[in-house]
Formats: sequence, structure tokens, C-alpha cells
Amino acid sequence: MGQISLVIALLVAGYATLASFLGAGLRMPELALSGRYGLYALPLLLIIPSMSLVDAFVSNDFSVRYVAENSNLAMPVAYTWVAMYAGNAGSLLFLALVLSGVSVIAIAGLSRKLPHTGAYAAGILMLTLTFFLAIIVGLANPLERLPITPADGQGINPLLVHFGMFIHPPVQMTGLVLVTVPFSIAMGAMMAGRGGHDEWVSQGRLWGMITWVVLTIGLLLGAWWAYTILGWGGYWAWDPVENSALMPWLAMTAFVHSIMVQKRRGMFRMWNMVLIITAFAMAQMGMFINRGGPVPSVHSFAESSMGWLFLAFMGFTLLGSLIAFWWRSGTLKSRETLDSMLCRESIFLLQNVLFLTVALVTLWGTIFPIFSDVAQDETVTVGAPFFNRVNGPIILALVALMGIGPLLPWRRATRTNVVRALKYPVAAGIVTAVVLALLGIGQPVALAAFSICALVVTGIIHEWVRGTMSRHRSGESYPIAFGRLLARNRPRYGGYVVHLAIIMLAVGAIGSSFYGVQRDMVLRPGDTGTLGDYSFKYLRVEETLFADRVEEVAELEVYSGDSYLGLMRPFRAFYPDFRIAATRGAIRSTPIEDFYIVPSEFNEDGRAVFRILINPLVWWMWAAGPLLFAGVVLGLWPQRQPAPATLTVRALSQAARA
Amino acid sequence: MSWAKFISTGWDLRWATTGIATVMWLAVACTSQDDVTLLEQRAHELNEVIMCPVCPGESINESQHTLAVQMRAIVNTKLAEGAAESDIKAFFVERYGQSVLLEPSRRGFTLLVWVIPPFGAVVAAIGLYYVLRTMRRPRSPVASPTAALQLTEDERARYFEQIEAAIGETNSEEQRSRADG
Repeated sequence: MGQISLVIALLVAGYATLASFLGAGLRMPELALSGRYGLYALPLLLIIPSMSLVDAFVSNDFSVRYVAENSNLAMPVAYTWVAMYAGNAGSLLFLALVLSGVSVIAIAGLSRKLPHTGAYAAGILMLTLTFFLAIIVGLANPLERLPITPADGQGINPLLVHFGMFIHPPVQMTGLVLVTVPFSIAMGAMMAGRGGHDEWVSQGRLWGMITWVVLTIGLLLGAWWAYTILGWGGYWAWDPVENSALMPWLAMTAFVHSIMVQKRRGMFRMWNMVLIITAFAMAQMGMFINRGGPVPSVHSFAESSMGWLFLAFMGFTLLGSLIAFWWRSGTLKSRETLDSMLCRESIFLLQNVLFLTVALVTLWGTIFPIFSDVAQDETVTVGAPFFNRVNGPIILALVALMGIGPLLPWRRATRTNVVRALKYPVAAGIVTAVVLALLGIGQPVALAAFSICALVVTGIIHEWVRGTMSRHRSGESYPIAFGRLLARNRPRYGGYVVHLAIIMLAVGAIGSSFYGVQRDMVLRPGDTGTLGDYSFKYLRVEETLFADRVEEVAELEVYSGDSYLGLMRPFRAFYPDFRIAATRGAIRSTPIEDFYIVPSEFNEDGRAVFRILINPLVWWMWAAGPLLFAGVVLGLWPQRQPAPATLTVRALSQAARA
Repeated sequence: MSWAKFISTGWDLRWATTGIATVMWLAVACTSQDDVTLLEQRAHELNEVIMCPVCPGESINESQHTLAVQMRAIVNTKLAEGAAESDIKAFFVERYGQSVLLEPSRRGFTLLVWVIPPFGAVVAAIGLYYVLRTMRRPRSPVASPTAALQLTEDERARYFEQIEAAIGETNSEEQRSRADG
């Protein structure tokens, strides 16, 4: 049943691709319409094999090869519901299902508003889906049966048995697949020859923002998972797979900013196409690296030999996009010009270029080991120190632009208004650096970074206060004035909220990477140790035997100064079948700092090795997630369209006469 | 704004106090470092650039693999004996190869990984400058908004009269067609 449904889905998707492209190209609306109905049918066709796969997992049906490889009897029932995306074939099916779902939503909205664009966009979405389905049916069929049914499966990688498994992988994969939607809208508009009309921009922005926020949340959840499970007190390691998810995020970040310039000023039409093509290519590149790419990574859960197919598909779509771009570039000319080199538009452009630079540096560092292998027959590793050193300064510059850009006027910034806009923020930045230095906080780079954060926050708060005060003066109470201020120009104030969340992330990153401390300690039961203001006593370790693992749980009494904070129970689980030891740190988190204990080793003679860490300000990184989400929702919340143009012109002309 | 005025405005003062309090709070969060000895600091920095050979991509600082724990111990012992950072790196490179270092060396072919990004950034900056310069040049004088603003009062009045006449026509046409329909 599932198998048949998969094959039908492949055929329908192939038909929908052809029908949409031909219908749009040959101006046969009926044909395009039939393609669209095919597209609407696909989620139904794909939910059937997905359900049967989930059912096979839940009922421990090990005659299905994929289930036998990724599950076993010892697996907790809750995880069997999500084990579907633990491996390569199943995660592809998940991607296909999500893509078909978002395609329906996107095309249903698009074909009503922009029929020409919609047909091409449907074609592009269906082309991508056909590619996924062809791989699933031909090479990685998750429903394939084994000739003999094994008694038990091989089980899932124990590192995946964590609450994060329920949220990070689906959100991250959805984000990567969502990049296809704004890409198809932009390309569809361009192929329809309507790229020069900015009608696609509001849909492009909407889907661009949705993609961006899903990718962001996916990355944050991944960072949080790494922080709680990998047991080294870190959240980002510049690992190839992390990089491959970061690159499309960077390109999308550039896109959602640059699209605002097209929305407001009708400029950057070609540039936006370049950005969205880059974002899509990078998402494909990510799939290539993720699925058995040539670079070793801690994420090799879904590894397979089909990475190269993704590379080929990326090459194909990139080439296709470039041909379409070249063919239609005449329609993308912008009539608007800049009045001055210093204005919000130019900052936007600089920001875009810097984001792309970070993305390209990341790509370069990620794939350099391959070049090195080929060119000099020596394996080198390009790790976190390289990325921190090269990308760190660019990211800092980006944070600074985030403070300056929104305060500059469109079109032309004069000396007076630059000074007026930046007076308070710059002062706050300088004061911050001076105060921190006077208080004896070292590390010049981190001081500069904190000072830039202060600049950005002051700029935003100054805008809010000024707006609220002027509304308050016209008779509104402060809370109402503030609420109406945010509601009046939602894209702008939503953007400010997101910027604040980014600063929270930055503060967490700066605090933990520059001011974190750690100490490895050997303790026997009854021993005590100290780190910073914290002192702790190692009480005992308890060993528990489970079907699939041995857990050693340590118990420590923790004090901060004289006050008793309670017991902390970090543990280490060893999975003999996989020869993998998973450590789970115990974390006591406050807005000031995280106190973090990781057990590294329990020896036979009773000695235990602990790593104790103090990670300042990390709490703010996780708190940033909900705020960021709220900001995006505010920015996208539909706003009543401004009154019709005729009225505005009349009002204007009356005003001019008066 | 003069200082006297700055201080006399209560709001500004309150905001400034809030700001400074926030900064002091930041400072509180970042002071635990005083507790760490120089030797620990050096070991930490070294651990971060040495890769654990059996867990690709992870440094021995991050990894909790037994091998990483042992390698950390070696780093500590050697530092305590007075070895230099470069000696310790060389020690591990001899055993596990160049790939044990997470930061690629700056010699030979590997130098490329360091040189390309700044080179690319310079090219991008020059490109950006030229693009902005081209965009600034107005393609036709009429399209320039500054030119539009330089209308005389008479011209402006005439302009708005024409617009209003046009609106009036459209509206009456609409009314007529509505009456017909």
C-alpha cells in the first residue's frame, strides 16, 4: 500500500512538473491547472507511506529493512513515533512529505494572487519533489523488506535518544526544505517575466521570513541540544553539518533584509534573485554534505552514498537558475537610483555582502579538506579556531551594522541626521566599554563586542522611547502608546524585536566564549572542590543496569558561596552495542551564568573525573528564541493596506493648496 | 545638548542609570575568570586546537571520549613539565598526522585556506563601491526626486490641479458606469 502510493506520488509529481512548466510556457492554463491539482494531491499520497513507516516502527516490524536498521525492542515507545527521520531513507520521505505540504499552502495562496508566477513556481517545487521521490523510490526506499525477518533491530544511535530528537531534526529539515518556496516564488516571477513588477515581493518576503524563522529556531534547538547532551558546555562547533545548515541561513538572512529594499524602493531586483538562488544552492549543498558528503562530521547519522546525487541536483538547479536569470535579466532593471552613498539602502547592501562573505568563508573552510586531500595528498582539518578567527570579525561588523542601518534614513543621509541618530547609541557603546574596563573586565575583543551590543540596544530603545513619548504627549498612556507604536509599522518594529533577540544571542555567545571557565577535577566520594564562587561535594555514584545501557549517576552537593543550591546529578551512559558513551551534564542555569558539571570518567577505584564549567550568560541564548519568534510574528502580522491611492493624492493636493 | 540640560532631564538620567546598571550586571557575570591559573588557561587553549583523532571534528577539549581524556592528561603533564605549546602540538602531529590540528598551518598549500577569505573580502568591497557609485548616478534628470522637489510654487499648483482634474474625471466616469449598470 505504502509502496504503491510512493510510486504513484512519483508519477504525479513528475506530471505536475511537466504540466506546470508546459502550461505556463505554452500559455495553456488548463494544463497548468491540471498540474496544480496534481500538486494538491501529493500530500495525501505521501501521508500513506509515511504512516505505514511510522506504523512499522511503532509495531516493531523488523521485516522492514529501514526499521531493522534504526530501531530495536529496547527503544522507548515515544521514540518509535519519530524514529522515521533518524536515518537517510526515512528522513528523505519526511522531507518529501513536508515539501508537498508547504507546496500546497504556498501555491494555493500564490495562484490566486499571481497566476503567471504561480504556475512556474509550482513547476519548480514539483521538480524538487520529483527529485526527492525518485531517490526514495529508486535508491533509498524506507519501506523495502528484508528477505528474512530479524528477531531484533540494530537500534538507533544512542545520542539521538534525547528530547531534542522530537524537535530539532524536524524543524531543521523543514527549514532547509522551506528554502525551496521563496526560491520558487522568486524564480517563478522571473521566469514569467514579471520580476520587474514587484508584485511577487510580498509573497516572497512572507515565505522568506517563514523560512528564516524556521531555520533560526532549528539552529537554536540544535545548539541547545548540543549544549545539554554533548557534555562539553558548548553549543556550536563549526562542524561540517552545522555549517551546512548555517550557510543557507546566512543567505536567507541577507535575502529577508534585501527584499525589504525592493518592497520599499523597487531596487535590488537582480540582487535579490542572486541571493535567493544562492540560498537555495546552499541548502542543496547542505543536503550533499549531510548525506554522506566527503567531510567527516559528528552528525553522520543519515550518511549514505547518495550525497553526490544532491551535488548533481544542485549543479543542475544552479545552472537552470542562471540560464533563467540570463534570459530574463532584461526584465529586472531598476529605475530607482541612490541619492547618496550613505543611506539605508547602501548599509543593506553592505550587510548582504558581509552575510554572503561569512557564508562563502564557511563553505570554503568546510570543503577545503577535500582540495587539500587532492592537491597535496595530506589530510588537514579546518576546525573551529579557523572559523572563529575569520568569521568572528565579520559577524561583529554585522552586529554593528544592525545598530546603524535601521537608524539611517532611506535615500540620503546627511551629516546632521547621522549625528542625531547615532549620538546616544555611540555614547552608550563607549560608556559600556569604559565601565567594563574600569570594573576590571579584560579581553579587548570582547569589550568591543559588548560595546557594539550596547550601541545596538540603545539605538532600538531610543527609537521606542521616542515613538512612545510622542504618542504619550498626544494623550495616550504609556503602555497603550507603546503597543500602538509597535502595531503601527509592524515590519519595522517586528524587525527591532528580532534584532533585540539577536543581541541576546550575541551577549550569550560573547560571555560564554570569552569569559567561560572550566576545570577538570579528580574526586573521590566525600571530596570537595571549588570553581569561582561555587563549591561542591562529590557524594556517591550509582550504577544502574538497563537492557541497552549502563548508567552511572553521580550525586554532588553544590553551594554558591554559603548558600546551598541543592543536589546535582550528572550521568554517563554506556551503550555496549554501539560502544558509545553518552554523557549528560547537570546544569544549573541563571541569567547570570550556568554552573555545569560533566562526568568524564568513573574509575574502578572510586575516583571520578569531572569537568566543572561556569558559562556566563548562556541563559540569554535560549531566552532569545521565543523573543525572536514573537518578533517575526509581529513583523508578518497582516496589516490593513493603506487607503487607496486616489484618496492620498487628493489629500495631498488639498494639503498643497492650503 | 549641554551637560546641565542633560542632567536636568529626569528621563535621561533614569535611562542612563538603567544602562549603567545593566553594564555592571554584565561585569558580574564575567568575573569568574580570576579563579583560573595561567597553566589551566594555557591547557584549555591548547586543548581547543587539538582534535580528538577518533571523533572527527571535535577537539579534545570538547570530546569526552577516553582517548580525549588521556590526551588532555598528556597536555597537562607536558605543560607542567615546562614544554612549549609548539612542542606539544608537534608531539601529537608526529603521532596522528597534520590533521590532528584543528587550525590549519600557514605554510605551503594550506596557506590558501587563510589567504582566500581576506582576498575575497577586498574584491567584494571594491565591487560594492563601484556598484553603489553606478547606482547613485541618476539615469535621467526627471527621475531624480531632487529635481521634482525643485518645482516652483506655480508649477506645483498646476501639477496638483491636473491631478485633481484627472481624479475628478475618473470618479465621474465611475459614477456614470455604475449608474448605467
